[in-house]
Amino acid sequence: MNLIAGIDVTAGALNAQKTRLDIVAQNIANAQTTRTPEGGPYQRQVVSFETELVRREGGASLQSVKVGGISADKTPGQQVYNPQHPDAGPDGLVTMPNVNLAYEMVDLITASRAYEANLSVVKNARQMAMKALDIGK
Amino acid sequence: MSPVGSINPLAASALTRLDAPLPKVGLANGPQATPPTDGFGQVLDGLIATVDGKQATAQALTRQVLLGDSGQLHQSVIAMQEASVAFSMMVEVRNKLVESYQELMRMQV
Repeated sequence: MNLIAGIDVTAGALNAQKTRLDIVAQNIANAQTTRTPEGGPYQRQVVSFETELVRREGGASLQSVKVGGISADKTPGQQVYNPQHPDAGPDGLVTMPNVNLAYEMVDLITASRAYEANLSVVKNARQMAMKALDIGK
Repeated sequence: MSPVGSINPLAASALTRLDAPLPKVGLANGPQATPPTDGFGQVLDGLIATVDGKQATAQALTRQVLLGDSGQLHQSVIAMQEASVAFSMMVEVRNKLVESYQELMRMQV
């Protein structure tokens, strides 16, 4: 059991949101990538979360969160006419990645806000512990 | 977070130890009636060891982050905060002990 209550759960959530941020960064970085080891343009990756039971000594077991999986977004990418492009087909069309920057920015802000929310949980839990120690003063 | 899990039993034993000898001291035939159990020293040692363990954990995590072995900045900061809270608690226990000692010393005989 930790001194600061429920911190394991929050730590898990922070970790998960950080992974999500990493994946958003990867999507934005590869927004123009038309060539991948698997062949074809880059496919947008999506993070899904799943609950994880955290067993604690001398306390109720709580559900934390972890990254359940990272899967590819299967929607087809946009076709752009660009005959000079090395990856252009015989008809001059290039399949671009299915990354939509607007979606990615929204995901970025959501992940960042969720991270902040979890951080304020940490802050408040710590304040509660310090207030409890103030009883003796 | 496993090495930080042992403060609770220690703190509990500290509490029982703290209030176990005190009533006997207050009695008239106090000093000779108390057998020498594992005294304050050991209890305090355990407490300090736990706090030290927490600080070592925090230091190890911070080191990992600084060396680039782990990207978990929040884990290291959380561990530091845990260590800080544990340290505050240790200081609080020490203050209480000193306070009760001084209270006893001031007692009119």
